[in-house]
Amino acid sequence: MFRFIVRRLLVTIPTILVVISITWVLIKLAPGNFYSGEKPLPPAIEKIIREKYGLDKPWYQQYGKTMWGIIRHLDFGTSLRYQGQSVNTIIKRSLPVSAAVGLLAYLLALIVGVTVGSIAALKQNSKWDYGSMALAMLGISVPNFVLGPILILVFSLGLYWLPPSRWGGFPSRNLVLPVLTLSALYMAYIARLTRAGMLEVLRSDYIRTARAKGLSERDVVIRHALRGGLMPVVSYTGPALAFLLTGTVVVERIFALPGLGNYFIQASLNRDEPLIIGIVAFIAITLLLMNLLVDIAYAYLDPRVRYQ
Amino acid sequence: MSSRKFRQIVGLVLLASLAFSTYSCTVVSSNEEFFGTPTPPTRDIFRYVTGDEPASLDPAISNGQPEARIYMAMYEGLVEYNAKTLEPEPALAERWHINNDSSEFTFHLRTTGRWSNGDPIDANDFVYSFRRAVDKKTASQNAYLASYLKNAEAYNQQRVFVRDPKTGQFLIERDFQENPPPESIGNSPIDPAKSEYPADPKESTPDPDTAFHHQMHAPVRLTLPGSEKARTKQIEGDPKLKAAVAGKEFVPVKAEDLGVEAVDKYTVRVYLKQPGVFFLRLLAHQVFRLVPRKVVEQWGAQWTQPEHIVTCGPFKMKEWVPYDRLVLERDPMYWDAKTVKLDELHFYPIIDNATAMNLYKVGELDAVYNHAVPTPWLHIMKQKKDYMDQAEAANDYLIMNTTKPPLDNVKVRKAFNLSIDKEAYASWRKIVRPLTAFMPEGTFADYPRPQGAAFNPAEARRLLGEAGYPVEQNSDGTFSCPKFPVDQVEFIYNSQAANKSVTEWMQAQWKQNLGITVGLRNMEWKTFLDARSKLEYKGFARGAYGADYMDPFTFLSVFYTADESGTGWFDPKYVAMLDEANRTLDHKKRYELLAKAEAYMLDNQPIIPIDTPSVNWLKKPYVKGMYPNPASLFAWKYVYIERDRAKWDYGTPSLTAE
Amino acid sequence: MATEKKPEPDELIHIGPEMAVAEADLMPGEVGRFVQGTSLWRDAWRRLLKNKLAVFGLVVVVIVTISSIIGPTVIQRVFGFTPDYIPSNDPRLTQSFPPFTGPNGEFSWAHPMGTDNAGRDQFARVLQGGQISLFVGILATLVSLLIGVSYGAIAGYVGGRVDNVMMRIVDVLYSLPYVIVVIVLLSMFRSQTPRGQLILLFVAIGTVSWLTMARIVRGQVLSLKNQEFVLAARATGVSNTRIIFRHIVPNTLGPVIVYATLEIPQIMLTEAFLSFLGFGVQAPLASWGSLAADGIQNIAVFPWQLIFPGVTMALTLFSLNFLGDGLRDALDPQMRTV
Repeated sequence: MFRFIVRRLLVTIPTILVVISITWVLIKLAPGNFYSGEKPLPPAIEKIIREKYGLDKPWYQQYGKTMWGIIRHLDFGTSLRYQGQSVNTIIKRSLPVSAAVGLLAYLLALIVGVTVGSIAALKQNSKWDYGSMALAMLGISVPNFVLGPILILVFSLGLYWLPPSRWGGFPSRNLVLPVLTLSALYMAYIARLTRAGMLEVLRSDYIRTARAKGLSERDVVIRHALRGGLMPVVSYTGPALAFLLTGTVVVERIFALPGLGNYFIQASLNRDEPLIIGIVAFIAITLLLMNLLVDIAYAYLDPRVRYQ
Repeated sequence: MSSRKFRQIVGLVLLASLAFSTYSCTVVSSNEEFFGTPTPPTRDIFRYVTGDEPASLDPAISNGQPEARIYMAMYEGLVEYNAKTLEPEPALAERWHINNDSSEFTFHLRTTGRWSNGDPIDANDFVYSFRRAVDKKTASQNAYLASYLKNAEAYNQQRVFVRDPKTGQFLIERDFQENPPPESIGNSPIDPAKSEYPADPKESTPDPDTAFHHQMHAPVRLTLPGSEKARTKQIEGDPKLKAAVAGKEFVPVKAEDLGVEAVDKYTVRVYLKQPGVFFLRLLAHQVFRLVPRKVVEQWGAQWTQPEHIVTCGPFKMKEWVPYDRLVLERDPMYWDAKTVKLDELHFYPIIDNATAMNLYKVGELDAVYNHAVPTPWLHIMKQKKDYMDQAEAANDYLIMNTTKPPLDNVKVRKAFNLSIDKEAYASWRKIVRPLTAFMPEGTFADYPRPQGAAFNPAEARRLLGEAGYPVEQNSDGTFSCPKFPVDQVEFIYNSQAANKSVTEWMQAQWKQNLGITVGLRNMEWKTFLDARSKLEYKGFARGAYGADYMDPFTFLSVFYTADESGTGWFDPKYVAMLDEANRTLDHKKRYELLAKAEAYMLDNQPIIPIDTPSVNWLKKPYVKGMYPNPASLFAWKYVYIERDRAKWDYGTPSLTAE
Repeated sequence: MATEKKPEPDELIHIGPEMAVAEADLMPGEVGRFVQGTSLWRDAWRRLLKNKLAVFGLVVVVIVTISSIIGPTVIQRVFGFTPDYIPSNDPRLTQSFPPFTGPNGEFSWAHPMGTDNAGRDQFARVLQGGQISLFVGILATLVSLLIGVSYGAIAGYVGGRVDNVMMRIVDVLYSLPYVIVVIVLLSMFRSQTPRGQLILLFVAIGTVSWLTMARIVRGQVLSLKNQEFVLAARATGVSNTRIIFRHIVPNTLGPVIVYATLEIPQIMLTEAFLSFLGFGVQAPLASWGSLAADGIQNIAVFPWQLIFPGVTMALTLFSLNFLGDGLRDALDPQMRTV
């Protein structure tokens, strides 16, 4: 187990550095720069700015400086666009927003999805089954940037029940629509996954044995079937988080939430190099770490996976 | 029926019903009389979007309108804008006296003024704040507004006086001027026999006299550039100056030379370098508001942070989360706290208009800022009872390069002006009103604005013919003007989205009415600005101006100097007319003289007036005391939430002063 | 000694947030059947037709595709609007009308989906959006197919160290937030022309979507390469390249087609949300994503600007999913999918 973790870490760290480097290269290769806004500057001022931000140094010096700052103390520098705010401050400020929305969405998706999927599996071919799978199909087909505005249209602009955008702190009514929008897709998918997994398990021998032994249905389901049926859901967590990230970006745009995704898009549009690199690195680290955690959990739960 | 088919049908039905219910929901609601829900908030708070995140909470620094509204809540000055008319009202100054030619102002402060931390406000605060605003180190974007104060420009630009070391006398500016205007009372030595101020029965005791007062009552001193290189260059270039400067020393202009004085604890005197009849209207601007000396000196650039900041306006800071919200609460220390009705003011920095409008509709905002209503929505918004329809204190026009032919001929310029139908333009743009003069419509109620020239394409063609470019009519009814040197003119514009269609519209008008197709050229912003200001364009460009302060002179001053307008038109006669008007004490007479100057300028046609924009915003009917004045500046202490439906505002509240 | 890591039989390969196929079921357990001849395809076709849902999906997709391709032309002939026609000479018309409404509120056939803020016909725009979305979807899938199949086939066939390295690379790339990199790519290298931006878009999407395809194909090839027909080919001296591309790859077609049909809606979704964020299709071209982005601005007053592109897209994806389900069932009824 330990060797497994160490081996994975050894792969993860260079991966992150590679990701950062690729991003850095892409930014440097691109035409334009962060200060060429609406009112481009006179050459004298442009020179001062370039000096101030070290943009006039040769590329290997800039690369070295950036990477060294990151490796030594995870210092990603100061944002070029948001005056005086360090990238770490911005990430610290925006991370709770994204985390709150993302985690709540996934939690909701898990709870609802597993419940609905299990019931659908248990009551196979009944109207519960049809109805919930139809809804699931809908949830999968409607893109989140269509679902979100429709929810806003109905529940906010139409009925005035909920705010249409903005971050209201945690917890607040502002969270309801973004979380719903984000979780819809995963809810649907987890329901389908659970249903398939449960169906598979419920047909298996050991469940028949448990039933034959006279265990109550509730016991059969919760203590035996669920564990097996949930395996696909657990293994899905890793990729789910990656997909959740891209979903968060869209949701934050629609609902004007000051989260990592929104800052990332803004930084890309503004060519705010330090901020882009900081967020990309942060996301890469998070994803890789989460994947590692999930793999560890999976290895723990299923001995078959603890391979060579 | 197979199970899957069942699934399919159920799915489709769900999809269809969702779409349909959404749609019908909103169709129903579009017939409401207000845009969105008119339910007032439970607390007495006002939630507003003023614009983008404020660049700074220091009132001296930023000149944006969004920041101005925030400053008006947090800081106060000698006078404040009237909520409807924007005329100056007593604020920290209880009353004031103006001398006989408006070159000196004495303000008596109220003794009840307090900072938010309880410290009393006195005259020294004003002296400090004014000096700081003009100080080059503060880098205020508004320092030019203080230029009327004696020695303000010189101090701001760090210039030097020229003094004779033997006699201690300074060189005087008027000695080196070509046609110096008549000397103002403020620049003349004090005559003990004559009273400088008009008689005032309310004033029993005269103001104390001071040495500074005498010092100020002297002609304006000559100043030279502070940098030795520039100074030497100027001296070498002028023999008279060179002779006069020989043997003299250069004394840097200091803060203490600025024409502001704390006569006593509650009396502030302001000395102008020339008569300024509208100077009071300038004083409500944020650059003249107070900043807390002790806090600024202690914390420097960090003084506006929530843990340090001290304010003097009707509201003080409660919470500031950058890029999220600025929450102000009422200041019990404020001298007029009893008038303040709101408990809290919330400012949200939102740049996206659609987001702001959505929040407004749902009732998360109580008003949105000017120009927040997207143009495509107007035909619906205009019918709502919470839409504010009012002209703005700004104008849009076309500038012409009058230094290059063929536009150096005034007849040609007039022809181009007469061939644009401003009314048609206004109905096409929807959020503007037609403008044929230069002063925006409705901004200065009693200003006798000249009519300007109405749309007259026939007259335009005639004038063009007189100028040597006759217009012929073709067989199909269209016009052509073969002799016109069309390659010598072009219409430059900047790449932003709306500009292209506007430019094309103008081009179409000229083609239709004069038969001339003016070429269009798209330019990058910086190139565009440069070309305009350096007169490096041939033909036409778009221009616009917004009022810096609420006096007609702010607009007319565009042509006061040779290089501000971008047209190359400069006429000393026009300048003289303006100067004469500004020396006139009688308000009505002054306006008449200003209007005459405007008419003169319009007759010379350096620009083609196009439109006055509308303020274009929304406020909930329960918000009272907030009026859609042309400058969109609100005296927050008068704003309140009205919970009695019968007293709500239906439609745009009137701006006529009661 | 290097071991070739076979994917676990039960491991689900997640192709998109909503689709997965079990690796086991993509293994050519019945590879023999695929080799046997074309009658298999006819079998599959018949099975497909029996599945009502899949037929429905197929019909809708065909309708949407055809109307996207010929629709704008037809509209132009009949009504005179192109997707970017702005009636700028009549100010009464340059505003957003509800569906089936004319300038004075009366009923009119001219705009069944209403108009946008500049007076452009929404129906024509939605159809053009379909053109772009489907175009990008199919082309990007093809790109990813090409790269993925080649990569996976080579890795699987050559085996050993090379395979290990190649798959390691895939694993590493797989765990990256590729959408992030795509966004950075697209935002940095904005093309000047809308055409150029399109090409950039599907190259960007295509080059990051090949990973799963590569894995699947590799798994297939691993099993196939020890079959007799391969040994026979090698014995008769056929070169390795020919073996890979002329013998093995055609036998992976079944799962590849299945995967591709799952991939298309996934890619369409990616393109849509990239356009939605502003990194994809640029004006004056419209894709469903950019139409939705424009529409969201005005939902408070003109909800139809969002609803029609959104519903059309949802419907198309819905149908593509059903079609994909059906294809999977048709090609191998015993395949277990979610």
